Amino acid sequence: MSSLVGFLSLVFAIGINFYLFLSRYIFKFQKQKFNLFIRFSSLLTLLSFFSLMYAYVVSDFSNYNVFQNSHSNKPLIYKISGTWGNHEGSMLLWLCILSIFSFFFSFTKNIEDNFQKLTLIIQAFLHILFGLFIVFTSNPFLVNSILVNEGLGLNPILQDPGLAVHPPILYAGYVGYSIVFSIAIAGLFQNTDDEWIYVAKKWSLISWTFLTGGIALGSYWAYYELGWGGWWFWDPVENISLMPWIAGLALVHSLMMVRGEQAIKKWIVFLSILCFSLSVFGTFLVRSGILTSVHSFAADASRGIFILLIFFIVTGFGFLVFLLKEPKKSNALNLLFINKVSALVINNILMIIATLTILLGTIYPIIIEVLYNKRISVGGPYFNSTVIPIMIPGFLLMSIAPILSWQTNKINNSKKYVLAFFILSVLVILQSFFLDFNTWGFVGLLLGFWIILASIIAIFSSYKIKINIKFFKIINPHVAHIGVGIAIIGITCSSVFQNELDFNLNEGDKFNVNGKTVLFEKIETTNEINFQSLRGKFLFDIEKNQSKEIEAGKNYYPVSKMITSEAGILHQWNKDIYFILGDQKNNEWFVKVLINPFVSFIWLGVIIMIYSGLIAVSRR
Amino acid sequence: MSLRFQRLLLILLTLVIILSAVLLILYNTRENVSYFYTPSEIDKSDIIINKIIRIGGFVENNSFNKISSSSFKFKITDEKASILVTFKGILPDLFREGQGAVIEGAFVDKNIFNATNVFAKHDENYMPASIKEDLKDTGYWNKKYK
Repeated sequence: MSSLVGFLSLVFAIGINFYLFLSRYIFKFQKQKFNLFIRFSSLLTLLSFFSLMYAYVVSDFSNYNVFQNSHSNKPLIYKISGTWGNHEGSMLLWLCILSIFSFFFSFTKNIEDNFQKLTLIIQAFLHILFGLFIVFTSNPFLVNSILVNEGLGLNPILQDPGLAVHPPILYAGYVGYSIVFSIAIAGLFQNTDDEWIYVAKKWSLISWTFLTGGIALGSYWAYYELGWGGWWFWDPVENISLMPWIAGLALVHSLMMVRGEQAIKKWIVFLSILCFSLSVFGTFLVRSGILTSVHSFAADASRGIFILLIFFIVTGFGFLVFLLKEPKKSNALNLLFINKVSALVINNILMIIATLTILLGTIYPIIIEVLYNKRISVGGPYFNSTVIPIMIPGFLLMSIAPILSWQTNKINNSKKYVLAFFILSVLVILQSFFLDFNTWGFVGLLLGFWIILASIIAIFSSYKIKINIKFFKIINPHVAHIGVGIAIIGITCSSVFQNELDFNLNEGDKFNVNGKTVLFEKIETTNEINFQSLRGKFLFDIEKNQSKEIEAGKNYYPVSKMITSEAGILHQWNKDIYFILGDQKNNEWFVKVLINPFVSFIWLGVIIMIYSGLIAVSRR
Repeated sequence: MSLRFQRLLLILLTLVIILSAVLLILYNTRENVSYFYTPSEIDKSDIIINKIIRIGGFVENNSFNKISSSSFKFKITDEKASILVTFKGILPDLFREGQGAVIEGAFVDKNIFNATNVFAKHDENYMPASIKEDLKDTGYWNKKYK
């Protein structure tokens, strides 16, 4: 029953959008009525999504999708999040978020009616494309043709709190670019003044903030979930999310900087189209199964072709409009050797090159396979040694860019910066001299600390310190850059200075980690709701009274006959101690201990970036 | 510096950045790309010792051998040829005989491949054996399921 409701409301919503799309040419609408229709179609799409969720929650196995991906003894949270733990449901979530964005956009005030209407019509067009994709190739409301009273269960790897938050937030980031795309295209068509730029700024900041959060959550999930290769693996699926992120970052910066220059306006439109194209392209690559990835999802060629078609329509249409129409009114670009505008131009060039480098590395295997029929894999080393060097000049620029002037070449207080940089270099050299030296470690630490230091100097020397909201808004760009600096330090330390220890242990053995004695207490097995757990219990630092307990082990899921590993992590502010329980032979267990210094800095840096994204959105 | 000269400098800088990016990419596609083979594609006479490659196939049935709690021996096969693999470390959770796996590493001599990384495939379309039988009996069987 709920499946029927869901399917009908899905189709009905597509119908409404089709009607709205035609309204540009045939039926003319009042603004009020038009917006009501948009909101109604959004609510229908939401209804459709919640019907599917309802089917999951009550374990309605007459729905084929629920039967395939759910099981009645799952905890409630995985029944709910299982809704998008499969291809069909996740595409419905995608559509749902698309219509939510349209819903909120219809409430935007202070913009011209025709411009708003046209933006929403383009959104309606996208809704139709993705809606038809769901109905024809990935319908989550198919009826199960055999009578069953139990489902096949959700892949145990996905049974994790990460599934509840990571996909919706990541999708909000991806799909958020649809509205930026629509705004840019509508801006070109209507040729309004610079109004659309201010609207686009807000929405692209929202999308970028969501995307940052989504990627970080995924990264954190991968970090504590074993066998997914740590917090970053340069896996195709990860690269795909990084590309719109970097392009979106370039977009946000350009939007912040634009002061009516023709060239930058054009560039903004280009970036807006690029961001959404990359999002759709990413969906295509993940869903078609063309790429081999450790996060390999189900592959079905027909879906791939359909999404590829959507990709060509969206990208082709977008870039065609871009080539034919031009923003009117212009100021020439005020480029000097080093002023704000030229810093912005260099920053954008670097980001686009970085995006292209990642794109090339990601699709290179496909190109080689088509051309030479050889299969290759491009792994972490390629990306590390191309993307990072390309980004380094950008990071250097970042430390001073916010205080550069618009008109002249001068930097205020330049002596302070030179002195600070000199002292910092000496300190980092000393540090790397006394601890183990590593080129990447040296560069990373210097960059990270320099960005933080330069931003702090800029804050203190350029503004009067006040504690009020306005002040936090003014220093926001510096705060965002401090976040990046902190993240760079975390990334550098955790990847360069990671330490790995291997032990073969019996229960009751004591061993030494980082100067602290650890006791391997015992192995314990228990029965949970839908899995059996096996845990190795460790007591960290037993010499102290307050020793910490760490559990690392495996879960066995009888429904799917699968095992998942669960790492035990002891979080400290300056390092994570990461326990992995391996295999055993004759009661001797293999235990791997990783010491990851300053991992917490990565998450702290990301949180600061998200914070400044939010502050910037709230800015008027 | 005149305005014109400053702009020229900026454009030159841009070109230098682009050029160095291209060089970096070209150099790294030669150095940091590993080739992917199936066991039958590997020609015994062509093996380069210590060159990092990837091999994909299935873990051969009855070939898995636990030497200690952290070192393993098994064979990767594509039903035409098979390769003996040694691995030290922790195997992925989905690793088992008869299942697909990709290994990364290098040949230490003509017959033994030393894996540094083992990847097992995971997929949302897996199926418990009992239900698989039911579905086959009712004829409701999709070839997608393995």
